[in-house]
Amino acid sequence: MNRLNGGIGTGSSRDGASIQVQNEPTIQSAAAWVLRTGVTLSALLMLIGLTLSFMHHPINVQRMQSIFFNYHPSAILASIVAGEGRGFIDLGIMVLAFTPVMRVAASMVIFAIVDRDWFYTLVTLGVLVMTLISLFLLS
Amino acid sequence: MIDWSAIGWMAALSAASLAGGIVGAISGLGGGIVIVPVLTIFFHIPIQQAIAISLVSIIAVSSGAGSVYVKEHITNVRAAMFLELATASGAIIGAALVSRYLNAQVLSILFGIALLASLIPIVVRFGEELPQNVQNDRLARFLKLDGSYFDKNLGREIDYKAGRVPPAMAIMFIAGVLASLLGIGAGVLKVLGLEMALRLPTRVATATSNFMIGVTAIAAAGIYMHRGNLVMPYVVAPAAIFVLLGAIIGTKIIERMSNTAIRKFFALLLGIIGVEMLIKGMSM
Repeated sequence: MNRLNGGIGTGSSRDGASIQVQNEPTIQSAAAWVLRTGVTLSALLMLIGLTLSFMHHPINVQRMQSIFFNYHPSAILASIVAGEGRGFIDLGIMVLAFTPVMRVAASMVIFAIVDRDWFYTLVTLGVLVMTLISLFLLS
Repeated sequence: MIDWSAIGWMAALSAASLAGGIVGAISGLGGGIVIVPVLTIFFHIPIQQAIAISLVSIIAVSSGAGSVYVKEHITNVRAAMFLELATASGAIIGAALVSRYLNAQVLSILFGIALLASLIPIVVRFGEELPQNVQNDRLARFLKLDGSYFDKNLGREIDYKAGRVPPAMAIMFIAGVLASLLGIGAGVLKVLGLEMALRLPTRVATATSNFMIGVTAIAAAGIYMHRGNLVMPYVVAPAAIFVLLGAIIGTKIIERMSNTAIRKFFALLLGIIGVEMLIKGMSM
C-alpha cells in the first residue's frame, strides 16, 4: 500500500528516475504555455487600451504621469464597458501581475496529477500560499 | 489631432524599455537596473513610482523570456521551485519583521559590499565555460536538481550536476528579505546563488533566476498595487510592451553568447549595482 501511495518508509527504489525524466517535458510545456498566454493576452489588452486612449482623447505627457492604476475589479470593468482605453490597460496590468501566480498554480497541478511527485507538489503549494500571503495579507 | 510631445515621450520610453528587456533577459536580473534610473533621471518620475513600474516590467521580462527558456529546457524548473520557497519565506519575514530591526541605510551598504566581494569568485572563474568537478550533494540528489540542456552556442547537449544546496537556500532567503525591504527583485543574488553555490552552467543560472524573479516581484508589486496610486497605466503599458519585445530579442542574442561572455556581462552589471548600493546607502 505504501508503495502505491508513495508513502514514507520505503527505500529509494520507489523513486523511478526514468519516470521523472519522461514527465519533465509536461511540466516545462505547461509552465511555458501559461507564461506565453498570460504575456500575450496582457500585451494585447494594453495595446488595445493605448490605441483607444489615443483615438478618443489625445493625451499629453502630463496626463500620462498623473493617471493611476485602478485595482478594484468593478472599476476596471466599468471603464471597459464605457469603452475607455484606460480600463483595458488596467486589466492588462492585472493579467500580467497574475501570470507568475498562474504559472506556480499550473506547475503544482502537473506535479500532482501527471508526475505524482508529492514532494514537489508540496513545495509548489508552499510557494503559492506564501506568494498569496505577501500579495494580500502583508499589504 | 496628434500631440507630438506625447509621441516623442512614448518613443523614448519604449526605446529604454526595449534595452531594459534585452539586458534583463540575458543577465537574469529582470531589467530594473536599466528602467529605474531611466524613469527617475530622464522622465522625472518619483523613485517609489519608478520602482513600482519596474516591478511590473520585471514580471513581464520574467514571463516573456521565461516562456522561451522553459520551453527550450534551459531553465531548471525544480531548482527554481524549491529555491522559491526560501525566497518567498524571506520576503514574508522581511516585510513582517526585519524592517523593524534593520534600517535601509545599513542594509544598502552591506548589500553593496557583499556584491562587490562576490565579484572575486566570479572573476576567478572568468575563463570557465562550463562548471568543472561539480558533485551532486545529497540534498541535490534527493531534489533531482541535476539536468541537461542543449547548448546552441556549443552545439551539443550539456549534462550538469548541482552542488551545495544549503548555501544556495541561504542566499535565496536573503534575496527575499532584500526584495521586500528595498523593493527590488534581487535577481543579482539569485544568479549568484545559482551559479556560485549550486554551480549551474551560467546560462542555466541566468534563465532560472529569470524564471524566479517573476514570483518575487509579484510579492513586492502586490504591496505597491494596494497603494494604488503608485502605478501609472500610461507609463506601464508602453514600458511592459517594449520590455517584452526586448526580452524576446534577448533570448535570441543569448543563444549566440558563450557562458563566459554571459558571465562577464553579469559581472559588469554586478559591479554597477554594488557601487550604486554603496552610494545609495552613504547618501541616505
